[in-house]
Parts: sequence; C-alpha cells; structure tokens
Amino acid sequence: MTDVVTTINLAAVYGLIGVGISLTWAGLGFLNLAHGVTFAAALYGAWWTQENISDYPGVIFLGGVVVGALAGAIVCVSVFLPLDGRPNWDFRSIVASLGLSIIGIYTFFLVFGPQRKSIDFLFGTTKFKLGGTTITADKSGAIISANVVMILVVVALMKSRIGLGVRALTQNPEGAALVGIGRRQAAFAILMVSGALAGFAAVLLSQIFYPEPNIGYLPLLKGLIVALLGGLGSIGGAVVAALLVGGTEAVTSHYLDPGWILVTQFGLIAVVLLVRPRGVAGILEGTRA
Amino acid sequence: MTAILEVRKLSAGYGPLRVLHEIDLAVAPGERVGLVGLNGHGKTTLLRSVMGLVDWRRGELELDGKSILRTPAHRLARAGVVLMPQGDALFPGLSVRDNLDSGAFAAGWRERKQRRDRVLQLFPRLADRLGQSAGTLSGGERRMCSLGRGLMTNARVFLIDEPSLGLAPGIAAGLFSTLRELDLEGGTLILAEQNRTLLEGWIDRIVRIHHGQVAGIERGSPGPDGGPAEGEGPETER
Repeated sequence: MTDVVTTINLAAVYGLIGVGISLTWAGLGFLNLAHGVTFAAALYGAWWTQENISDYPGVIFLGGVVVGALAGAIVCVSVFLPLDGRPNWDFRSIVASLGLSIIGIYTFFLVFGPQRKSIDFLFGTTKFKLGGTTITADKSGAIISANVVMILVVVALMKSRIGLGVRALTQNPEGAALVGIGRRQAAFAILMVSGALAGFAAVLLSQIFYPEPNIGYLPLLKGLIVALLGGLGSIGGAVVAALLVGGTEAVTSHYLDPGWILVTQFGLIAVVLLVRPRGVAGILEGTRA
Repeated sequence: MTAILEVRKLSAGYGPLRVLHEIDLAVAPGERVGLVGLNGHGKTTLLRSVMGLVDWRRGELELDGKSILRTPAHRLARAGVVLMPQGDALFPGLSVRDNLDSGAFAAGWRERKQRRDRVLQLFPRLADRLGQSAGTLSGGERRMCSLGRGLMTNARVFLIDEPSLGLAPGIAAGLFSTLRELDLEGGTLILAEQNRTLLEGWIDRIVRIHHGQVAGIERGSPGPDGGPAEGEGPETER
C-alpha cells in the first residue's frame, strides 16, 4: 500500500513535468532542455516568496508557479524566438536550451550561493491511516492538488480557444497557420504553461528536492522519461507514462535500491519503445509507428 | 474598381526550383476567378505563394492596396484570406467539431456555434460526424470539412485548390453547387481546378496557367445566374 501511495504521488508530480515537455515538443518541435532550470527557478521563487513576502502556503505556491511561468517566457524569448525557422532549428534549439540551462545554474550559484534552502511543509504535518498505511499530509496534498491541476490543464486544452489553438498546432502547423494560429504567439502560451506546471511540481516536491543550483537535472530527466515513454506530444500517454515511471521508482526503491531507479526506468523505456516506437501513445492508439 | 487582391510580377518557387515566372493578376471585389492548367504548371504554387507557403517569392502582392509580401500566413488568415489547400490541412487527431471551430479561431470565436450550424446546413453529412476524428473521414468528407472550416472564418478572399480532386463526380458536383451559392459579400474567390467543366456557368474569369506563367485570360462561360451574357464566348485578353 505504501508503494501504491508513493507511486501515485510521484506519478502526479512527474506527470506535470512530463506534460510540459511533451506539449512543447508537440506544439513547437522544441525539446526544451532548459525545463530543469525552470524547475529550479520556480523552487527558488517559492523559497524567496516564503522568506520575503509571506509563508502562507497558497502564496508560496503562487510564487513558484509565477516564477516558473516567467522562466518559461525567458526560454521563449531567449531560445525559441531567435532560432525559430532558422536552418538546423532542431539541433540548435537543443544546444541553446542546454546553454541557457548552464547560464541559469551559474546565475543561481552567484545569486543564492551553493547551500540548500528549505521550504516549509505546505500541507501541514498531520498524518492519517488508510488500509494500514500512514499517509502524510504532504503526500495526500500533492496527489490531490497535482491531479486537480492536471484536470484543469486538460479541460483548458479541450474547451478553450487557446487550448484548441495549441492542439491544432500539435497536429498540423501549416493548417494552424491557415486558420490564424501564430506559432510564435502560441510558443509564449505553451512555454509559460509548461513553466507554470514545472513550478507547481517543484513546490509539490519541495520536501524532497530542496532549492539549490543543480536541483533541476533530475526532474528534467524524469520529465523527459515520462514524455518519451508517453510518446512525445500525447497528454494521455504522458499521464499513463507518469504512472509507470512513478510505479517503477516506488517498486525499485522498495525491492532493490534507490540507486537502481534510473536503470530500471531507462530499461522500461527501452522495452516499451522496442514494442511500440510511439510509446504509450502508440499503445493507446493501437499503432506501431 | 480597386483590386482586392493584386499580384504583380510574382515569381516564386521551392529551393532552387522556380515555378512561377512574373505572374500578373488583379482580382476585383465580388469576382470569381478560376485557375486552369495542367498539373505541375503552377496553379497550386500561385495560391500557396499568396499565403507565403513557398520557399521564396519575388515581385509584389497586395491586399486592399497594401503589400502582403512579408506577411506570414497566420496574419493573412486573420486579415480575411483563407486557403483551402489540396491536402485539406485538417487536424487529423481532432474531432470534426474542433476542426470546424478552428476556423473561428482568428475571429468570431463567440459566434462559432451559429457559424457551425450554417456550415452543417451546407454539408449535412458532417453533422453525423461531429464527434469523429477528422483523420477517419472519407476523401469527400475531408474536403467538406476543409471547405466548412474555411467558411467558418470571416474570410473575404477565398483561395480554393482543386476541390474536386479525388472525389466521385456526384460529390464533386455537390461541393461545387455549394461554392456556387457562396455569398462573397464583396469578397472574392480564386479557385484552381483541372476539370474546367465544373467552372462553367458561374466563374467570371478563367486564367490559364502554363509553365508558371499566365497563358491567357478568358471571360467565364455563360451561366443562368448572372454570369457573362449568352453568346459572348471566351475572350482572350492576353
């Protein structure tokens, strides 16, 4: 039961990061390697908010989400807009986002120093029992709020005008242009929403991932695993992949050793992509290619 | 009368390939123009180059007297120019409803339901397919969906590329009857079509494109609904 709770908890949070990476790839053809530094920026934003504005949990969350969205806008302005449409866009955008990531990490070193910061328990310290398993408020809060946010994102994508624009862009960029959907304007929306989701995930994970300059690497890796496993561009695939990744992590650390987590997760990717090159999305759609 | 769309000395192509050679064409408000010519001679490239969907173009392109040579496709769409391309350019993973509604993205989002109802009156077959993915539609239904999406916009300039391509004659005739009824409201329609008989009776001018150049311009053939007068016959202007 503990493994199940941990799985759902991790899946919910990794899903938020993976969906952002997946949307950015599908909508813009951009594999954003600066997503990890966006995560770190949001963590610092939440910590700074706690230290300087208010330690009320809602305000701390808001601080993290707003800084995450702003970091997404910075990625858009400094990487996407200057390179979009240029020759070798795919490769250059990956290198540029990696470069931005390195600049971000050194900026954090310079501004905040190398030492870890800490963020308070945002959902309190209470615990309750479910089926003989003790569940902390932190975990239950993360599960509920991450799922609420994910549902809101899906509803916005399915029901709003901007959501239709983003979905259209993921399907057919030329068709999208023909109905007036501008790729560069959409880039702002996509990267800011992705950044805000990473920011929300960062605050939810703030009891495991403390604000420090290099903290974004592992969440970036987890997000990439979820997005790749889910089939880049598929929201449904990313949600299922997040469950698989969270489950693998919980089971590996319980029965093997936490040091084996990335090994089992990459093993899972290898197996799924060998059987279905489009990842979980391919399984959901019943396609092989 | 001032041209709504004017093309002057337009050359365009893909990579090193030059497809259009200094095309001149002016289209007046309310006018219906048909582009005819053999496959591969530049009809599609002419329509795509108006939207900027070619690798390069030179010359001048004006909409309402203003240059649009550097205007990207999405801004032209917002300005009321709609291209219904040969490949349909639908969103295959989205439902027919979403595909139609995307036509109202640039303008008229709030009135999309009324506009959709109007389109469904023109293409009742789509009404049964609203929840279905566009990628699962038949060829004829995809054309209807693409045309329907174009009609969901508040376009003034309709650029329609080979609507009859790959369609059974009966379905093609139905589509053309819808296009014939289209109320341009001072806008214009430019239609590329290989099957010239489908243009008879309702198109005002026929432009023959040959080897990327305008090989001739003819008055449209007589029609019962206000087309050129009976007996005039085709007249070559160039």
